[in-house]
Amino acid sequence: MIHMSHVFKTYPSQIAALTDISLDILPGEFTFIHGTSSSGRTTLLRILFGAEKPTRGEVIVNGMNITEKGFHKIYQLRRMMGIVFQDFKLLRDRTVKENIAFALEVTGHGGEEVKERVSEVLGRVGLQERERDPILALSAGEQQRVAIARALINDPPLLLADEPTGNLDAQMTTDVMRIFTDLHHKGTTIVFATHDTDLIKRYPYRVIYLSGGEKVDVKTDEEVRTGE
Amino acid sequence: MMFFLRYVMRQASQNIRGNLFPNLTTIGIIAISMLIFSTFTLIAFNLTSFLKIWEDKIEVMTYLKKETPLKEVESLLTRTRQLEGVETVRYISPSDAMTFMEVKLGSQRNLLEGIQPGVLPPSLEIQLKKEFRNSTKIKEVVSRLKQFPQIEEIQYGQEWVETFSALVHILRLTQWILGGLLLVAMIFIISNTLQLTVSSRREEIEIMHLVGASPSFIQVPLYIEGLIQGLFGAGLAIFFLLLLHKGFFLYTPPSIKTWLAGIPILFLPPEPIARILLGGMVLGIFGSFIASMRFLRYSE
Repeated sequence: MIHMSHVFKTYPSQIAALTDISLDILPGEFTFIHGTSSSGRTTLLRILFGAEKPTRGEVIVNGMNITEKGFHKIYQLRRMMGIVFQDFKLLRDRTVKENIAFALEVTGHGGEEVKERVSEVLGRVGLQERERDPILALSAGEQQRVAIARALINDPPLLLADEPTGNLDAQMTTDVMRIFTDLHHKGTTIVFATHDTDLIKRYPYRVIYLSGGEKVDVKTDEEVRTGE
Repeated sequence: MMFFLRYVMRQASQNIRGNLFPNLTTIGIIAISMLIFSTFTLIAFNLTSFLKIWEDKIEVMTYLKKETPLKEVESLLTRTRQLEGVETVRYISPSDAMTFMEVKLGSQRNLLEGIQPGVLPPSLEIQLKKEFRNSTKIKEVVSRLKQFPQIEEIQYGQEWVETFSALVHILRLTQWILGGLLLVAMIFIISNTLQLTVSSRREEIEIMHLVGASPSFIQVPLYIEGLIQGLFGAGLAIFFLLLLHKGFFLYTPPSIKTWLAGIPILFLPPEPIARILLGGMVLGIFGSFIASMRFLRYSE
């Protein structure tokens, strides 16, 4: 699903955000990208959804070489993935339903199809009863579930999450993680960036450790499970 | 396609309603700028129309030497008729000229008492073909006429035609220079207003990018917004120009009206009005294009 080969990212201020990162993530895999702040995990995710271009190296996402010269169809790349952020990135002046429908409308869908799909994804995140509520009436955990529902609206094979539980308490984190694990079991590839070591211990999936922009360690889900 | 059109129209109208004050300001400024440009267009249009009316009446009078024998006059008539650009030629004998003057003087014809027709020179009244009734072409005909030795003097209101043509030319030049400056100003204003709109919708646009909205879904509503601003601005300019035109007739002092007698002061015909409206829309779209170029780099 994802192939990164010798990827470097240096900002104009000469700060090296990523240094020689190579990795492969298979379809259906759940992968944590672990690192503290300035480790390069957010930069790595931003490269994956085309918000940053690497200074050097090759990145292929779902068969699209996004580092190829002349690659401009970032919107097509983003239609085949869902993205979830720590700060939710929801439209605060709209309802739950409007927030989710927005993602469909701006990608050219309308009418009954929107109603049906919004209702279906709200069911998947357990918020059917809240569809008419304004976003600000929801708790942080519920808002994050709306953001996940929006990310799932196009039924993407890949879900990128940047600290999605960073603003949530333990119970909300559990609720949100249940949605991610369900999605994983249904075959969605998940790349989950976090600094939370406890979270990684509770969910035994493959982990790529970043520090100072470099890949310092990789543990398979088996190694995480057995605590090696 | 219908969904896309409905979406962009709805989005553009939401943008305008959501940023009403900056949009109204832009429409007002476009209207003022377009009004200045349209006023020049209207003045130039009327002067050109007047010039055309005058050019239609243009004729060349050639005065012959008094001693020119009739035989030579006949041959001169034939040769003049053969000149390029000449439509008709009429010979006016001294007695015809005297009759003409008597008619012109009317009740004051007694002024001509004691004057013999012989003092008046015979002349040729030459009507030119339509395409030759302008200062450049007249000169060509006149230079050929000058080669006939029987002709003593040629009159065709040269100075007047040239001065008036120059005036229209200067006016047109001013119109386009001013138009160019106003154009730059309008593009600047429209793009700045739209930048305000884009800034106020930054969050929404960021989400659109993230969920994979194509550039047309993001940018076309902004172009439509610019188009609407340009259309309304230009429409208002035409409306105010019409008011000015009507006001000119209502409030012009009678003395000026008398002076203007016979000169038609027209309003712009549909074609230039359509061009001004179209120009407003194109300007609006161009202004939004610049705004979106600055703010909507897709990778951000």
